[in-house]
Amino acid sequence: MPLYSCNALPGAIDDAAKPKIAADITRIHCDVTGAPPIFVHAFFFEDAPHQPLDDSKAFLFGSIRAGRTDDQKAQIADQMRQSIHTHAGIPLEDIKVITQDTPAKWVLEGGEIMPEPGEEAEWLKRHHRSESGD
Amino acid sequence: MIPCTCIVQDGQISAESEATLRSKLDAFSTKAFGSSAEINWVTVPAAGGFTASKPSTSSIVSIRPSAPIDQETRATLLHELCGFWTAETGQTLNEIVGVISDPMPA
Repeated sequence: MPLYSCNALPGAIDDAAKPKIAADITRIHCDVTGAPPIFVHAFFFEDAPHQPLDDSKAFLFGSIRAGRTDDQKAQIADQMRQSIHTHAGIPLEDIKVITQDTPAKWVLEGGEIMPEPGEEAEWLKRHHRSESGD
Repeated sequence: MIPCTCIVQDGQISAESEATLRSKLDAFSTKAFGSSAEINWVTVPAAGGFTASKPSTSSIVSIRPSAPIDQETRATLLHELCGFWTAETGQTLNEIVGVISDPMPA
């Protein structure tokens, strides 16, 4: 957690663009929130029924830990929309980005309930993991 | 029925293991929440999953019971869920994310 799930029209985001967008998603989330990269998952789908596109060509849905400010969420949405536009060439108006708060205490990762935002250092220390997961 | 979404990486879990996990999830849901699981099994296409910007080996299992549960119960159930998942798949605890939510507000 966070989990960023990106659904798009078939072929709208090619395989070369996906790692670039995933790297941007990871960097943007960590820059804005201070979370470690090891927590950031970015999954790409095409025409996936579990995440309807409606009128968009790409829809990025981020399930993020609760506790982020409205300003942080707006920065995440704006910068990630720009990344998809830059790497996939999809017009900005055809890209939808939404985040949803998930309480950290609802989530088990690494065999332990996730830390609240800002309390990651002790969690990582207990798990002998670096922020990048190496 | 209790909604249960499983997101796995392409080629990561065999059909046999998927069948076993579906059965175990259903039994888990019935025991923990009093109702069987409505499982939505979602596979991330090849080269489409990333964790920490690297190719992902992570699975996500998310369950939304119909009634709120206390945190001690939730934690116990999450450990049980991730325990049988890793035992079946051979994944490590660093490769499984379990989520047990409260119901959506009316």
